[in-house]
Amino acid sequence: MKAPLIHRSPMPGLGLSMGITLTMLSLVVLIPIGALLLKGASYGPAGIWETVNRPRVWAALFLSFRLSLIAALFNLVFGVLLAWVLVRYRFPGRRLLDGAVDLPFALPTAVAGISLTALYAPTGAFGSLADQIGWKIAYTQWGILIALIFVGLPFVARTVQPVIEEIEREVEEASATLGASRLYTLRHVILPMLMPAALTGFALALARAVGEYGSVIFIAGNIPLVTEIAPLLIIIQLEEFNYDAAAAIGIAMLLISFALLLAINLIQVWSRRRIGHV
Amino acid sequence: MSDATFRPATEETPLARRLLITLVVLGLGLLVLAPLVVVFVEALRQGVGEALASLTHRDAWAAIRLTLTIAAISVPLNAIFGVAAAWFITKFDFRGKAVLITLIDLPFSVSPVVAGLCIVLTFGANTAIGGWLVGQGYPIVFAMPGIILATMFVTFPFVARELIPVMIEQGRAEEEAALTLGAGGWRVFWTVTLPNIRWALLYGVLLCNARAMGEFGAVAVVSGKIRGQTATIPTTIEMLYQEYLSVAAFTLAAVLALLALVTLLLKTLLELRHADQLAATHRH
Amino acid sequence: MHIEIDAISKSFGATAALHPVSLAIPSGALVALLGPSGSGKTTLLRILGGLEYPTSGRVLFDGQDATGLTVQQRRAGFVFQSYALFRHMTVFDNIAYGLNARPRGTRPPKAEVARRVTNLLDLIQLPDIGSRYPSQLSGGQRQRVALARALAIEPRMLLLDEPFGALDAKVRKELRQGLRDIHDTTGLTTIFVTHDQDEAMELADLVVVMSGSQSGGRIEQIGKPQDIRARPASAFVRDFIAA
Repeated sequence: MKAPLIHRSPMPGLGLSMGITLTMLSLVVLIPIGALLLKGASYGPAGIWETVNRPRVWAALFLSFRLSLIAALFNLVFGVLLAWVLVRYRFPGRRLLDGAVDLPFALPTAVAGISLTALYAPTGAFGSLADQIGWKIAYTQWGILIALIFVGLPFVARTVQPVIEEIEREVEEASATLGASRLYTLRHVILPMLMPAALTGFALALARAVGEYGSVIFIAGNIPLVTEIAPLLIIIQLEEFNYDAAAAIGIAMLLISFALLLAINLIQVWSRRRIGHV
Repeated sequence: MSDATFRPATEETPLARRLLITLVVLGLGLLVLAPLVVVFVEALRQGVGEALASLTHRDAWAAIRLTLTIAAISVPLNAIFGVAAAWFITKFDFRGKAVLITLIDLPFSVSPVVAGLCIVLTFGANTAIGGWLVGQGYPIVFAMPGIILATMFVTFPFVARELIPVMIEQGRAEEEAALTLGAGGWRVFWTVTLPNIRWALLYGVLLCNARAMGEFGAVAVVSGKIRGQTATIPTTIEMLYQEYLSVAAFTLAAVLALLALVTLLLKTLLELRHADQLAATHRH
Repeated sequence: MHIEIDAISKSFGATAALHPVSLAIPSGALVALLGPSGSGKTTLLRILGGLEYPTSGRVLFDGQDATGLTVQQRRAGFVFQSYALFRHMTVFDNIAYGLNARPRGTRPPKAEVARRVTNLLDLIQLPDIGSRYPSQLSGGQRQRVALARALAIEPRMLLLDEPFGALDAKVRKELRQGLRDIHDTTGLTTIFVTHDQDEAMELADLVVVMSGSQSGGRIEQIGKPQDIRARPASAFVRDFIAA
């Protein structure tokens, strides 16, 4: 016998809570996303392909994805180091540093965008230093990369921190009693334990970076084919009332997001199955 | 080797520790703290008076009012949704629960620009629904309702995602006890459930509010950025910045940065005081 | 290996864990450190294994001062109370770990590692579990894998912290005999910590009864099980072994 759709329960408020949940979810999220998908469907795969398959669109999608990947890789390494230092070491200013990790989550993207630009522009504090060795950061792909690193910085650190807190000291000690050096222990015992969480954080940072707009457009320069990111291209198409093209690029980005979401879930299923609970 | 130089098996060498700490301090300093400091430096570049004067400008003032209004409408709506969704998901057993949770989380993985695009494609003047609403005199896109919808979309999961784990952990026993004692549904909610989830609710609302006031991408798409009418603080920052009104732009940015700092402070306080009643600190 | 503990004391900040204790353990003995919690028995074991550094005193292995040796240099096969198996590695990889962690020059070739792991799996009488993960094992199996992992490095001694603590009564009895057999086969000096006087009396050649106090743990009596039963040296020992 199949399980009933909703089990009988003595709890009150089924109708009300279900009603509010489904109505608001539909109105705010599902219908709008549905409208985008519907637009895509009416346009047809061939139509979407025709729009996406243009040098400028490819360049933007490829740029967004490539720089997001590099930024997320940087954050993968830096985030694991950051989490390790924050959990394991005691030093003055640690609490402040721990709080600062959340800043990219809390600081509005437009604010981050103009302040990063002010810092890294040729006239800015860091930009002028870089300029002396002929390194242009703002208004180049370097600038975009820095903005994407900024917005993705907390993800890996925040997913890895709780895992480090839960590592039993005895496991590290066991490794040492078996003759392993500290470096060998970190590499072969600790790192594999952190990997599932780190990869989840990596995928989250990647997803965030691919869709990022506010912090990037100020520092990017926005030159077509060179420093024009995919979200900006959507806005440009909208401003030209080119809704079909905007929808086509939007769907391409939505598919990337869904793929990343799926990847995150698969990582979690895989790590749970493999490691289980000891 | 002596007691002082003995290194436990779970520690790195002092040199490695110092190296790692330096690296992390330097990285966070350059990437995160420096941009924060710059906001205030740029805002005060021509003195406090100039900064304050730019805040009292008509457009800046209108933007602040609009942003406060948007947050005042969209945050409570999302709080109501969050509580209802958490109640529905944690107090009842039904098929498709995992799918529902995934759908609620969906806005976090959608680009804000795509979110705005979705709303334009649903409620824009050239769509069926949007056209009809404009005919009735209720335009959505390039008007306040569109900004509210866009803001709600990007902040949609905040409250629900914070409440669901907390309410799963607390179980249903207390509510069931109250029911056997003859309490009605609302009484159970106000006197049993709400006191148990109030800190988690506040935590979710806090994060929701910070994001609502700071949202840029989605709002930029749907608002039309009409100065004095549909320009929020973040979109006004963009316009001022592009007109090279640096002090004015950075002063408004400083207002948002202060909001972010206050949010972080309150968040940390909640995590310290009520760690046992928050989902976030369990994840951490 | 002959182990000598020479006036070892340990304090953690202001709290004293071990009052100076001295103890000589003959080569090849099976010794129980028996006492209630807070008697410093685990601290003493961890000092022997190089996981803690004594506040004062010396440890001598075969007459040589070993106090300054690092954990890695001690080659003490250590079995933790929680077993501390590496959960992301198979049983095979867990047991092979110590061999693979050796510097390149002294690391045995792959085939040799595999041969030794197979032998150890035979020794603990679990020949077919090499490809499983720790989460797929029972408590008793995990304990034996932890023992095999410690033996793989060809340790100079075997140190076990409450090796039967996490097991139910029936499995505990079986594994006692298992430890006895492994000790007799390998001939290793073996020291285990326990709070269970039955376990100590039944299994050990030599029992060290310890007690705790404000000034740190101390040794109440050292002797063969039957001697301790027949002639308890103090009221504490009499009460403790009667419990």
